[in-house]
Amino acid sequence: MSIIPHSFRLILLLLVRTTLRHWRQKLGSYLLLLAIVAVGVGAFNGIRQASRSASANFGLFNQAVSGQSDFLIESPTQRLSTDVLAELSTLAGDPDWHMVPVIEGSVTALDSDNQPAQQLRLVGLDLLSLANLPDLVENKIDFGQDEASWYDWLGSENQVWIGQTTAEKIGVKEGGEVTILASGRRQQMRVRKILNQEGSALPDDLVIADIPTVQSLLSRPREINRVEVVLSQPDLRQDTDYLEEVEHRLTRELPENITLSPTQNRAADRAAMTAAFRLNLTILSLIAILVGAYLILQALDAAVVRKRTEIATLISLGVSRQILFLTSLVESIVIGLIGSVAGIGVGWFFAYFSAQMLADTVNALYFATTLDAISLTWTDCVFGVGLGLFFTLLAGWLPARDAMQTPPAQVLSKGDWSPGFTWLQKPKVGLCLMFLGGVCLLFPPLSLVGGGKMPVGGFLSAGFWILGAALLSGHALVVLSRWFRPFCTQPVSRLACSRLQDGSSRHRLAVAGLVVAVGMVTGMFQMVDSFRYTIEEWFDIRFQAELYISERGVTGAGTINGIDPTIMEELVQDETIAYADVVYISYAKPKEGITILSGVDMDAWTTSIKQLWYKPPGSFSAVAGAEPALISETFARRFGMINGGVTELDTPSGRKKISPVGIFSDYGNEFGTAAVDIKTWKSWTQSERPINVSLYLKEETDVNQIRDRLRLAFPGLDVRNGKELRDVALGIFEQTFKATSALNIIGLVVAFAGLLLGLFSIFDESARTWLTLRHLGFSNRQFLLSAGMEGAGIGLAAWVSGSLIGLVLGWLLVKVINVQSFGWTLLWHVPYTDFFIFGILLVLTGFLSGCLASAYWNFKRK
Amino acid sequence: MISSSTSPHAGSTQKFALEINSAHKSFGQVDVLKGVNLKLDTGERVALMGPSGSGKSTLLNCICGIEPMDQGEIKLGGVSLNDISAKDLEQIRRQSIGYVFQSFHLLPTLSAFENIEFPAQLLDIPKKERLDRVEQLLDAIGLSQRAHHKPDALSGGECQRVAIARALIHRPNLILADEPTGSLDTDSGGQVLTLLEDLSNEFKVALLLVTHDQASTRICNRVISMKDGSLV
Repeated sequence: MSIIPHSFRLILLLLVRTTLRHWRQKLGSYLLLLAIVAVGVGAFNGIRQASRSASANFGLFNQAVSGQSDFLIESPTQRLSTDVLAELSTLAGDPDWHMVPVIEGSVTALDSDNQPAQQLRLVGLDLLSLANLPDLVENKIDFGQDEASWYDWLGSENQVWIGQTTAEKIGVKEGGEVTILASGRRQQMRVRKILNQEGSALPDDLVIADIPTVQSLLSRPREINRVEVVLSQPDLRQDTDYLEEVEHRLTRELPENITLSPTQNRAADRAAMTAAFRLNLTILSLIAILVGAYLILQALDAAVVRKRTEIATLISLGVSRQILFLTSLVESIVIGLIGSVAGIGVGWFFAYFSAQMLADTVNALYFATTLDAISLTWTDCVFGVGLGLFFTLLAGWLPARDAMQTPPAQVLSKGDWSPGFTWLQKPKVGLCLMFLGGVCLLFPPLSLVGGGKMPVGGFLSAGFWILGAALLSGHALVVLSRWFRPFCTQPVSRLACSRLQDGSSRHRLAVAGLVVAVGMVTGMFQMVDSFRYTIEEWFDIRFQAELYISERGVTGAGTINGIDPTIMEELVQDETIAYADVVYISYAKPKEGITILSGVDMDAWTTSIKQLWYKPPGSFSAVAGAEPALISETFARRFGMINGGVTELDTPSGRKKISPVGIFSDYGNEFGTAAVDIKTWKSWTQSERPINVSLYLKEETDVNQIRDRLRLAFPGLDVRNGKELRDVALGIFEQTFKATSALNIIGLVVAFAGLLLGLFSIFDESARTWLTLRHLGFSNRQFLLSAGMEGAGIGLAAWVSGSLIGLVLGWLLVKVINVQSFGWTLLWHVPYTDFFIFGILLVLTGFLSGCLASAYWNFKRK
Repeated sequence: MISSSTSPHAGSTQKFALEINSAHKSFGQVDVLKGVNLKLDTGERVALMGPSGSGKSTLLNCICGIEPMDQGEIKLGGVSLNDISAKDLEQIRRQSIGYVFQSFHLLPTLSAFENIEFPAQLLDIPKKERLDRVEQLLDAIGLSQRAHHKPDALSGGECQRVAIARALIHRPNLILADEPTGSLDTDSGGQVLTLLEDLSNEFKVALLLVTHDQASTRICNRVISMKDGSLV
């Protein structure tokens, strides 16, 4: 007796003798099906891998040199005075750890035309003390053959070490000079040594120097960013008791307002900062597989219909329904497995092309990061295969069940036309899903570690509504065809319309697959357009000054170097300036995560400076004992202050209370901004460095002439007029949505590939009809035209249903998900023209897909 | 449009509705038609019998131009199919031939009325005339009350009657009927045959009836047999 169970052998036999033979007959269709699964899994995995690669290095840039640190000693603003080092001297001598003070900032290397060429991350370390660290030796970084004469370069003001890749990028050799912009000044740095990066993981944009050198280049004398603590015995890193004890000993000796935290918390904080962004992308990356699931359902349904006679015969021969059901499911598993494995490769390919895009977005919106090599982990493989299998099984379940429930006699007596899933013809399931979506809208957002919010209810609503709309879209197809039918007097149009009105499950699923993609894409259209529209409105109101000045070349949310105060002082003396609105910013530490503390001229901001007010100044009175502040809407929502109140922020001067007097709209960051008066800001942060200034010029001055003059006088500053600032901001905006657009396109491509596959199986299934038509004298042209009209009809129904659900999704994204996720209110703007153009394109593509599928079908038949 | 010189209608006064001379057709190494010669007079009804695989269906496909012959000539209403383009062949199929299938092959998404009307629409017959013809045929086949039912709501016999009306709507010279009673019970089959006979008489249409059933030949003027690709 065989050890393999009989049922298993039977399934195997059926797979080999029937399923695989069908695959061979319909190789093209099955390959396309596998490609759809692969693209769906690939989009999901690609985004995972690219996100990881784009934010892999958001930790500490110096770690490639100084090794992994265990604790960070920081201030709430992430800036420390060097005086703190003296206060830490008692800790420095402890043999259990090494202390590594670090200063870092961004500088911009100029090319030979003095134009910004590359942004570099300048890290200052105590190179002498680093020599004592075992990790430095482990990393095998060779700082030169002249360590013996270290005193030559110790204390030099401009000597730096750079990696091979960076040197090649900016075209400099050892001993050469690089012109840089830093803190609003133009300066020179001399390359002492190009580090051999072999065996070390130096980020591409890293420049290393001694602490005084960096302080000098960044014009930040007596300032560092943090002190890192590295344990002397790395093997004790896993010993939590030991770590607790060390943390306790360190904390005990820390000066006031200085915090100590495990280094790994920083990575977790940063991950939390981008959690909403990454989750949004991940959800968006599921479009392709969601669309794909409909197409798999459609294709497997078509396969079952195609094999009905065979299934009926097998049942008649005594094969049990369970065995046939399991065989169908195994077919789905095989499709899911092969497609997902291919999808892992496709994911790597997507990640390779999208990682830089995501890194740019993270740099622009969150913090400085560099791109790491794309890596593929076992978790990626498990997630990818799991996702592919889940969706293919889900999609394969219904056709398998449907086939098994069809009585053989009925099957054998039917012709080539089958309505397929009858439940698709009833609106019950679709309406239930729509109702569930409405219920989910009542769920409050989920609070994330780090202070972010996740609109779980909003996402669930979006999911239910889109699935519900997809199921109901089949009815739209039937209704639209019924409306059009009286106008279809010609045989070709009448035939196409009658077939659409009949609404087979293949037609309905083809529309449903497209509706998912169209709904998501039109929803995203609205969100992006609303965002653009809101930002433009915001610009028109907020930016009334003539000139805007900031540090030149430095872009991105993570670079708040600021401008050297002496330069700012010199700049605002210009006699053409009527008023200079100088703004200061620094980080501040709320209970969770980070936020932005800004210093502004409160008098001007509450009276003359125009703002897009969510609640104008005077809407609330500041709570007694708290500093009056103007807060951004994001800040207000994040800390529950939309109706006033008070919150506390840790600053280098201790914990401070702030209380809003007004709420302004701000779309610059999602951490929230609280603006206090400049004097207060300086006192709280113990800093004098402004971040930017808006210049209101005296009347009858030539703005561009003054701009050009200031550019010449201050080469380290970016001087822009209103239009130029708008262009830069919109450029960042477009950058932000690049990944979103790419995912939308992938979703649409999958949907159209599915439409082709669906139409092909519809034509295949109607083989007898076409044969009859040929006997009746139907020409090839008429056949193509009829198929094209069928495709166009599917496109039209998908556009109508997709646009309707898209409008709802647009509302959901703008009014619920954005508000809960990022805390800002956007002006809902529907791009009607784009909608109509998209509709025309969709109908045309449907028409071409129909023609193409029928031409191919015709070719195959011949 | 097909030119008047090649139109079978131009030659509708021809004595023969169908003329086949030395038709040869093979699929690979298998000779399916081996020099078939056959003539059908206008209005004549001929039964073609023979075992499965004898080449009957291939012969029908060659007559309606779907399958090209290797050798020989087929003339429909005096027009040789050898000398005309694929486009003209389609036009001939629309104008001169009515086809009745064993499994009816009605268009499943069209009603009985629309199915019958369809070939007339392909020929651009004016609407009024088209509708008159459909009404007349529906009346003739006794399905006026079922005109707006779809095929899945009709019985087999009713479907075949609709198929016969569809084959006649455009007033062809020749009806090719491939086992029209093969899927029907005896009563329905009998009604369909009578209908074919009556309508053939009424419209003066030649009929080439392929059948296995000896009883079906009762409506035919002549019975011929086919074996191994030849008429015997």
